[in-house]
Amino acid sequence: MRARYPDHEGFVERDGVKVAYESYGDNERSVLLLPTWEIVDSRVWKCQIPYLARSFRVVTFDPRGNGRSDRPSQVSAFDRRELVGDAIAVLDAAGVERAVVVAWCTACGVMLAAEHPDRVTALVEVATDLPLSRDPGEEQGYPFDEPLATDTGWAKWNRSYWHRDWQGFVEFFMSAMFSEPHSTKQIEDAVGWGLDTDWETIALGMDANWPRDREQALDLCAGPRCPVLVIQGDDDGIVGPARGAAVASAVHDARLVLFEGSGHAPHLRDPIKINTVIKSFVDRVGGAPMPARVWTRGLHRSKRALYLSSPIGLGHVRRDVAVAHELKRLCPEVQIDWLAQHPVTAVLEAEGERIHPASRWLANESAHIASESTEHDLHCFQALRRMDEILVANFMVFQEVVEEGLYDVVIGDEAWDVDHFWHENPELKRGQHVWLTDFVGFLPMPDGGEHEAYLTSDYNAEMIEHIARYPWIRDRAVFVGNPDDIVPDRFGAELPVIRDWTAEHFAFSGYITGFTPPTAEQVPAWRAELGYLDDELVCVVAVGGSGVGRALLDKVIAAYPMAKRQLPALRMVAVAGPRIDPAVFPTYDGLEIHGYVDRLYRHLCVCDLAVVQGGLTTTMELAAAKRPFLYFPLGHHFEQNFHVRHRLERYGAGRDMDYAATDPDQLAAVIAENIGRPVTYCDVETDGAARAAALIAELV
Amino acid sequence: MRALEPCATGYAERNGVRLHWEQFGAGEPTVALLPTWSIAYSRHWKYQVPYLARHFRVVTFDGRGCGRSDRPTEPSAYSHVEFAADIVAVLDATGTDRAVLAGLSLGSVWGLQVAADHADRVLGVVCFGSSVALAPMLAERVVYPFDQRLTSTEGWAKYNRYYWLEGGYLDFLEFFLGRFFPEPHSTKQIEDFVGWGREIDPATLVAIEEGVMSGEREPMRSVCARITVPVLVIHGDEDRLAPLAAGAALAEITGGELVTIVGGGHGVQARDPVLVNHLIKGFVDRIAR
Repeated sequence: MRARYPDHEGFVERDGVKVAYESYGDNERSVLLLPTWEIVDSRVWKCQIPYLARSFRVVTFDPRGNGRSDRPSQVSAFDRRELVGDAIAVLDAAGVERAVVVAWCTACGVMLAAEHPDRVTALVEVATDLPLSRDPGEEQGYPFDEPLATDTGWAKWNRSYWHRDWQGFVEFFMSAMFSEPHSTKQIEDAVGWGLDTDWETIALGMDANWPRDREQALDLCAGPRCPVLVIQGDDDGIVGPARGAAVASAVHDARLVLFEGSGHAPHLRDPIKINTVIKSFVDRVGGAPMPARVWTRGLHRSKRALYLSSPIGLGHVRRDVAVAHELKRLCPEVQIDWLAQHPVTAVLEAEGERIHPASRWLANESAHIASESTEHDLHCFQALRRMDEILVANFMVFQEVVEEGLYDVVIGDEAWDVDHFWHENPELKRGQHVWLTDFVGFLPMPDGGEHEAYLTSDYNAEMIEHIARYPWIRDRAVFVGNPDDIVPDRFGAELPVIRDWTAEHFAFSGYITGFTPPTAEQVPAWRAELGYLDDELVCVVAVGGSGVGRALLDKVIAAYPMAKRQLPALRMVAVAGPRIDPAVFPTYDGLEIHGYVDRLYRHLCVCDLAVVQGGLTTTMELAAAKRPFLYFPLGHHFEQNFHVRHRLERYGAGRDMDYAATDPDQLAAVIAENIGRPVTYCDVETDGAARAAALIAELV
Repeated sequence: MRALEPCATGYAERNGVRLHWEQFGAGEPTVALLPTWSIAYSRHWKYQVPYLARHFRVVTFDGRGCGRSDRPTEPSAYSHVEFAADIVAVLDATGTDRAVLAGLSLGSVWGLQVAADHADRVLGVVCFGSSVALAPMLAERVVYPFDQRLTSTEGWAKYNRYYWLEGGYLDFLEFFLGRFFPEPHSTKQIEDFVGWGREIDPATLVAIEEGVMSGEREPMRSVCARITVPVLVIHGDEDRLAPLAAGAALAEITGGELVTIVGGGHGVQARDPVLVNHLIKGFVDRIAR
């Protein structure tokens, strides 16, 4: 899922070539994010669009040769001047008179600014390819047009190699583009864009007319009279580190911003910094009026906490509300605001919590996760990786909130964006930071093979390096659980044992259920209150808050008639959740299907059996209430398959089920076998919220 | 010891009145930190000068009636017109074609006047605790007349020529500076200003007060309407000398930026110097890139 979709999209056509454009927002000032070389499409700006579109009207288009634009077959169609023509046609079609142009690599930004000063108010040039210094590839001196005996390194920049192994070239080139460690996702994206076109198209572009020598480049640079911002990484493996300074000195009114340690695509690898640099440049050249500001004297401020509760799964918010209540008890003077999104906001509103108005700008993580799931399957590690642009978009919102909001403490319950990007941009940290999580360490699914093991360990390594380098970003890390809940695995082959590392870097709150389960004596009263009769065998089926639960629900309902024959007293209470229509299921006597159920935990606490997914919150609610339950971990969900399963095994709780291997008949039999069965789980503590709150209160 | 000594000093002279100026730093553009009511001389900018001088050229001068400037005795020497003209004279004397002007209280009134009359000399104006007549005075300030003998010496009754001249001046200063700095823990700021206030003879301050209040004046609204340069208004919401509403109106009429300091009093440049320094720097960077 994208973090933001265009408000308007269309095509322009010039000489029979159709070019696809998109426009975002309806703000007064406009920014045109120019396509670069046709080896990639306009998605290269995915980390900029959601942020910039909140302040500006943002226009993008796919270059001819990639994305949704045509792939013409004549060399002349790829003349760089055609891209300038396309840009003007797109601005016309989008109704944009003047724009700040942001160009990556391509010389077309300079051409556009020089030739259309009435349309370009200012220009940002990221890692420009104007040949004013030597390309690192040139230094190896391989000819492009002759077949070579070697295909190592820049010898891959060769027509016959492209023909032979386009993917090999794309992988080489995109890896060279990201010299920064831990760039797997960025490289993967870029390779995907490169494979979206073909070598023939790119070869046409190579034959087309574009500035190739220093003289031409200097001529071009002399053109623009508008303010120009040049951004250059000092580890740029494509155009070299010296390029930015050379371009800045050749342009009339240019300022250089150097990114140390950055490669060729800092807008993808360091999007937070680039976004703020672009925004403040556009603000400066645009002469936008400064809004009225308020600054409150230090001692005049009341104490405030900003709470972020992960919306992935409905589980976090319940425990976070419990922690917030305990925190308010310990520190009544602290005002807690929530930066939250649906469905977390639904719970918070019901609890009367304060939701920060900027919450409305957040891109929906829950919808993204739903879009990533298939039949009882959610590859949550990959889903999290593919949530990258949403995390960038939401971090930008968060950062604005903390810069304005004067928060003493930021509490993030698996607020991945805050934790990751504060480590990536440590100068942005504001206030104390509490990181809460119930698992540590990405683990590979076995069928992902070596590559997935490499990816998870790379993600873990980056996190470990973050913590080691910036121990002051997390003022307190709280593991929601106990040391024994942690899996025995390593973070990766060469990396620490997760349990040891976590014990060293976290405080432990014990598990947080967010409620106190009824005692055996209280159960009958609870049951009566919920309308469950003594002689009924109540089986609650709960499949979480997203659409991924549909398949399991289908299977359990298919098992119902058989189970009912075996257990005439069976009453099945199925909860479809807010995203599944209860009306789609068959109806049977003794089966009821609800959409949303308020405080579902009360039903779980008194049922005779529960059938659930492998999510931590629901299974631990059942463990705490000591009810028998069957749990079906989602396919490819490493957290449910490893972390949660490990924890439940420690408590001796629940029966682990395999969705694919269980047919409805078998399921009916297992339901009959387990319903009402006495259980002997380890106790789950009930003071977790208070302990977590005490750990936070020490900072406030 | 001062944090930064001036790199040049001198006098500008108008009609026989000498005005002592100091210059710091050599950057571009020039920021002129204006005099305020003569109760305090140019040292009231002491927290701004060293920082701003690392980025810009800074000019300060002592207002007529205080510091090392001359102290004429007749009230007519202290009209608004004179104070505004002094600013231009100091710009001339220091070879300053154009400057960003920053003024506190009355200083911002004079800076705005110069911006309206001499737009070619002014890049922008920063106004602190502006005592501009664009909103009603605080009610407590309009109870007692300045030039009548009063029976009370409580509160704003201390703002009175007879009280000043007949032994109450120090008591007035302490009262006045307490109003000036309502922020808790302002002992040092109050002490500084009381000290500067004591350097001036009460008779001179009476002449200044009479001069400032006399003479025909263009309504502030009309002055503001003539201003074309950028304006930054910084105002404490607990300003007990000039109400925040006046600063807000100033920002609105001039199309300027407004920064409200919640919990801030009248002397925010002394009480919240870090914020104020950054605000001035950001403003100058924006308008004089």
